[in-house]
Amino acid sequence: MMDANEREVYRAAIHGDREAFEMIIRTQSRPLFAIAYGILQNREEAEDAVQDALIKAWKSRWRVRDPEKFPAWLCMIVRHRARDVFRKRRPVPIIREIRETSETETRDTATLDHELHSALSALPELHRAALSLRYFEEMDYATIENRLGLTNGSLRGILGRALASMRKQLKPALASEQP
Amino acid sequence: MTIHDNIDEFLGADLHSELSDEEQIALHTHLVECADCRQAHQETKAMNKVLEKKFEDEKPDLAFENRMLAGFRNRVPGRVGFVGRLLFNFVHSRATQLAGVAALLLALVQVGRLITGEHVVQNKSEWASVPAAQSFGPMSGNGRVDDLDLAKRDEGRTKDNRYRALQNAPGSTVAAPAPPMVAGGLDRQAGLVPEFHDAKPAPERKSEEQAVVTSSAIPMAQEPAPGSATTANPAVANRKLIRNANVELEIVNFDQAVQKITAFANEEKGYVATTSSEKQENGKLKGQIVVKVLPENLDRFLQKTRGLGELKNQTLGTEDITKNYFDTEARLKNARVMEQRLIDMLKKKSDDINDLLQVEKELGRVREEIEKMQGDLKFWDSQVQFATVTISLAEKDLEQAAKYLLKERAQLALYTPEVEKVYNDLKSLASAGGGRIQITNAQLDRDNTGRVSARVSMLIDPEESDGVIAKAKGMGRVENFQVQTERVAQGGDEMSEDANTKRDKVALNITISRDEQEQAFQQTSLRIRTAAVDEKAKKLRELAEKQNGRVRSSSFRRDPEGREYANVTLRVPMKNYTALMQSLDSLGKVEDVSVQRQDRSGQTDEASAPADLQIQVYSQGNIVSSDTGLIATLRRTIGQSAAAIMWSLRMIGVAIAFLAPWIVAIVVAVWIVRKIRRK
Repeated sequence: MMDANEREVYRAAIHGDREAFEMIIRTQSRPLFAIAYGILQNREEAEDAVQDALIKAWKSRWRVRDPEKFPAWLCMIVRHRARDVFRKRRPVPIIREIRETSETETRDTATLDHELHSALSALPELHRAALSLRYFEEMDYATIENRLGLTNGSLRGILGRALASMRKQLKPALASEQP
Repeated sequence: MTIHDNIDEFLGADLHSELSDEEQIALHTHLVECADCRQAHQETKAMNKVLEKKFEDEKPDLAFENRMLAGFRNRVPGRVGFVGRLLFNFVHSRATQLAGVAALLLALVQVGRLITGEHVVQNKSEWASVPAAQSFGPMSGNGRVDDLDLAKRDEGRTKDNRYRALQNAPGSTVAAPAPPMVAGGLDRQAGLVPEFHDAKPAPERKSEEQAVVTSSAIPMAQEPAPGSATTANPAVANRKLIRNANVELEIVNFDQAVQKITAFANEEKGYVATTSSEKQENGKLKGQIVVKVLPENLDRFLQKTRGLGELKNQTLGTEDITKNYFDTEARLKNARVMEQRLIDMLKKKSDDINDLLQVEKELGRVREEIEKMQGDLKFWDSQVQFATVTISLAEKDLEQAAKYLLKERAQLALYTPEVEKVYNDLKSLASAGGGRIQITNAQLDRDNTGRVSARVSMLIDPEESDGVIAKAKGMGRVENFQVQTERVAQGGDEMSEDANTKRDKVALNITISRDEQEQAFQQTSLRIRTAAVDEKAKKLRELAEKQNGRVRSSSFRRDPEGREYANVTLRVPMKNYTALMQSLDSLGKVEDVSVQRQDRSGQTDEASAPADLQIQVYSQGNIVSSDTGLIATLRRTIGQSAAAIMWSLRMIGVAIAFLAPWIVAIVVAVWIVRKIRRK
């Protein structure tokens, strides 16, 4: 599943090798960002969450014994961190952001964007994380399942449901955009 | 599971190309058939596009990784060194953590045991030691003694248990709880004893002995302190208590009190054990009675006794010997069993004479022990049966004085020019007085500086004393005289109105010294300035002699500046002092007069007391000294400035020596910190 080289990098990082950990940051921060973004729907906050999660991971790296599980563990930390941020923030930022953008863009796209946003926000957090991993990183289902700690094959159902629920919500907006 | 029911899942997977080939074919077949699903398919595709676009917009920029890395480096500064990493790995290794958890658990268990006072492990080790003791197998000679000790220890432990049982159930009788342990202990002994005859080779025996010692030592150390339990439960029934009381009484008539106490003792079914009395010098009696009464009557007896006179002191004591008593009793029982077994062994008649001797010896020891224990028990029985009351009686006014003695002591200090003459006069005075004046001590001292002093101590009859003291006073100048009178009570400390007073002999101590040694009554020092020192000093002597004074010392000095000094010390009687002082004015200008007077108590004769004068006659000398003038001043100034420069140089050196190490240390520290930070 994981090749020997990758495994060695993770093992070294667990044992305190900084260079190995930096290598992990290079390769893994995008998927982590995808997860954080999926949950938070805000780039700045997601970046901060990833940053915090990486620091925390470095400090408590000794908790992971199996290098095999290191990526999944990283994802978990990011999820927790993002969830914390999500809980703490007030609902204001999203709305404000949308108002700002709505001035520059055309009314239609703004509406669609707005609809998309609210549809995404309505989804469960796990679904959002899975969606963003898929759409940002184009990861295959098995990897996503591994990262999010899901059982084999369950992702198909999750993504299916997520897409369906969004589809239902976005139906009018889509219809207006593509007559 | 049909495709139609799960169309969402299939559509999503189709878009993300996660369907297997069969599934894909099946989906497309279904899409052809089902209009609804076709519609959903279209919509999903449209939405997928929107989503892709949306996420494409939101993708992090290219510098994202670098930002993350930079942030990480900023917030986790410094590299972990080799040692740090080693330490980190050690602390976080599983083995270390397991050990830590184990240590924590162990500590918790220990703390818990400490708090609850339980001895869980102790019991286990005790039981573990029992089979070990049983498996010793054949024993002989010395091994037997250890074995006995072991059995005794077991016995002691069962007794402890029994004692605890007794305390837990105060109403139960002592003999009732006979735990099976006792029987077990005896059985064990019985199993071991017949094997005594089998002799074993020496080395093996030795190792077994050691085993016995070590196994028995562990539980012994963990035995709980039995003393803590003795006072816990005051269940008087079945207890062996020794009661005794001490009473101190002040009574009017000793004999009457003794009679009454005897009567009380008989009333309370007791008896008087001992009586003792003592007559004091003033006719009063005091004494002690020891009474034995039954313990239950003790309080009533004391109540009655207290009515006899004034109670000065009473102590009531109880000694609990229950534990010792029953311990000894059980040990005695045990020893009897042992004795019987040894006797049986003797009857069996072994061939080995050595074994027989050993058994005989052991038998003797056991019997001795039995007798001792029996004695102890009997003694305790007698102590417990009767309570002991010790009554100390004293008649009133026991401490009244029988008579008084008036003691008089006199101190006389005399100054005289002829010490030896006075000394001899005193001695002849004593011999003239016959037996009524006794010289107890006479001493004449003359040291190598020519100082003479004498001391005479005498005892004088009271009638003669005044006359003798008056005569002694006339022999010289009295420096001081003290009389001390003391009334000494005899035969007691307290006041007595009817005791008579007797006058004792007067002790007289006389100290005689030469008047040279007498300290001056008044000391005066003064300076006289005059032009002709030598001449004036000579005149001063003449003046002094005219006033009946004596020159004690004189000196003359001339300093480099031409000044002359003459120092004269004089002694004159006080009565001539004023005249002398007035005559001094004729010598020159009198300066710096200081007078110091010592008013001593007991000074009887002020007019003839000596006064000392220290007179310095001096001249002014040259006006300009050799130390002044241009060259001398220059020399002095240059010398002083050179000294000042040297001093400042030295100070600078000291400062450098003080600061240099600190500066070096600070520089090194800064360098190290910088180096570390640069890393």
